[in-house]
Amino acid sequence: MKRYDLVIVGAGPSGLSAAIEAAGYGMKTVVYDENSRPGGQLFKQIHKFFGSKEHHAKIRGFRIGEELLQEASAAGVEVQLESTVTGIYEDKEVTVQRKGHIEHVKGDTIIVATGASENMVPFGGWDLPGVIGAGAAQTMMNLHGVKPGEKVLMLGSGNVGLVVSFQLMQAGCEVVALVDAAPAIGGYGVHAAKLARCGVPFYMSHTITKAEGTDHVTGVVISQVNEKFQKIPGTEKHFDADTICVAVGLSPMSQLLKMSGCTMSDDPKRGGQVPETDEYGETSVSGVYAAGDVSGIEEASSAMIEGRISGTRAAYEMGFVSEEDEIKELTKLKNDLLSLRRGMFAPGNKGKKIEKTEEGINVSQNLLTKGYLSEAEIFRYPGICRKKGLHPVIECSQNIPCNPCQDACKFSCINVGKDITSLPVVNPLAKCSGCGMCVASCSGQAIFLVDEDYDETGASVTLPYEFFPLPRVGDQGYARNRAGEIVCKAEVISVKSSPAYDRTNLLTIRVPKDMAMKARFYADRAETKAETAGGAV
Amino acid sequence: MERRITEHPILGTIEKGRKVSFTYDGKTVEGYEGEPVAEALKALGVMVHRYTTKKHRPRGIFCAIGRCTDCVMVVDGVPNTRTCITSVREGMTVETQVGVVPASQVKDTVLKGGIMA
Repeated sequence: MKRYDLVIVGAGPSGLSAAIEAAGYGMKTVVYDENSRPGGQLFKQIHKFFGSKEHHAKIRGFRIGEELLQEASAAGVEVQLESTVTGIYEDKEVTVQRKGHIEHVKGDTIIVATGASENMVPFGGWDLPGVIGAGAAQTMMNLHGVKPGEKVLMLGSGNVGLVVSFQLMQAGCEVVALVDAAPAIGGYGVHAAKLARCGVPFYMSHTITKAEGTDHVTGVVISQVNEKFQKIPGTEKHFDADTICVAVGLSPMSQLLKMSGCTMSDDPKRGGQVPETDEYGETSVSGVYAAGDVSGIEEASSAMIEGRISGTRAAYEMGFVSEEDEIKELTKLKNDLLSLRRGMFAPGNKGKKIEKTEEGINVSQNLLTKGYLSEAEIFRYPGICRKKGLHPVIECSQNIPCNPCQDACKFSCINVGKDITSLPVVNPLAKCSGCGMCVASCSGQAIFLVDEDYDETGASVTLPYEFFPLPRVGDQGYARNRAGEIVCKAEVISVKSSPAYDRTNLLTIRVPKDMAMKARFYADRAETKAETAGGAV
Repeated sequence: MERRITEHPILGTIEKGRKVSFTYDGKTVEGYEGEPVAEALKALGVMVHRYTTKKHRPRGIFCAIGRCTDCVMVVDGVPNTRTCITSVREGMTVETQVGVVPASQVKDTVLKGGIMA
């Protein structure tokens, strides 16, 4: 039987991070993964990540995946693909199914980093072809370049539902509606706002009544629900759609941990059956660790740090690293993890209704129910100021651990401060060179450059633009407001792309002066989806 | 209707393997070597991969990562092959599955009766 210092199950962000640390300390490490490619779900994440520099903020998920693979190969990590770990037995004996047979290996330590699987919600016709998981949509369009459908209805307003909806639009699909039974949007407001200004309607307190179609989905009926999540008769709405995408949460894939004898607990805040662990991810079975989503659903950024913590700790327990170095490394990692677990969306705040920001500003109810900040609400936030000449307008209204905008500005016009969950503050006295780095650095696409004095009658608005075809200078189109409604005519006066922007293009439009604080997106045609969708049944 | 994304605003040009031919329910079709069979079929507009044994309900891609088994078909004569994690190869045969047999071995009336029921 082969013996390893460390056996890792799962080559996703957490497992690879653990392997990099452990192999770096000289541990003989193997990583098993059932898939044909390493990286877990990272290669399907084409959006820019949140966080600070230490958390790979403003870098797109798939690029983080590439970095991890390079690091792993430099550290000499052995990754065995198409290898399914089928059991963990006494004395850390592991069975692996690969190439049609079962292999037995032994690990002195084991890190289980198996991640999570998607939840499902049943409704009439939910088994029809065309009803897919949000992860399936990402696999099709972002890995294989195949559109999941033409007209998609998204169920679920958490970050997965919001991010995948935007990615569907980037792939050229139409998102006809975003539906959630909860009364408030679950994911980041900035992700919702990106969709709302493109004209995607939000139906909160709604659920799917049935999928229509005989051999595949041809339409969807949704109904409003009451506080007890019961459907209210007479509120049905029909949408033409060929695809229903389901993004209703994730559950830890913790079966192997349970099998290995770890004490488990049922924790809805962490997504279901999770192992009880100490602060290093070690379970009740000495030498067996859990890292990443399998120990509680969070973001990939947290999963990578958890992996590094468990990898370092395992190396220490096995005598590969001195206590002094271990303490130094773990203190840094734990601080990184703590900073990600703060703010309104911290794991501890799950399910809580938050009324005010850390600054004491009222949270926008409009943002939570419709997906955008209303014009009446916008001026309460410290990122928004009106002044002569060009300046950034930061429509960031929730405390999220994220601060790349602060580093992006060379003129100290933007300040988040030491606490990375604070709302960014725009300094009205600082100079703005119009470089656009802040616009491109905002993972939530919530920063605009506004010049109300562009010319005698017009204002200019620079916005982040990540769609094809890219408008051209001189194009005459229309401006959409935050709600996605066409509000005025707009002329494209500049289109900037740069490697430093990493595929976020900066589109500058000229609009009438009174539209400077209203126009937030560009459309080449004057139709709004909200007017055409959601007919009565 | 073009189902393949040729230029993506973030990913640029999506790299594909060599174009190869395989058969789908007896018809010669094309896909790219190395991509999952399910993706090649999706690009061709195929929605139904199989019909369930008892009620003949249609099933297609659901999870796309080899977990749910909704997308299984008869591939090179082997039933219950997960098409979302099986790569396209030149000359392979892919057949719609009914229960655990290829659709071609099932009477049309059985299938239709099942779907309408």
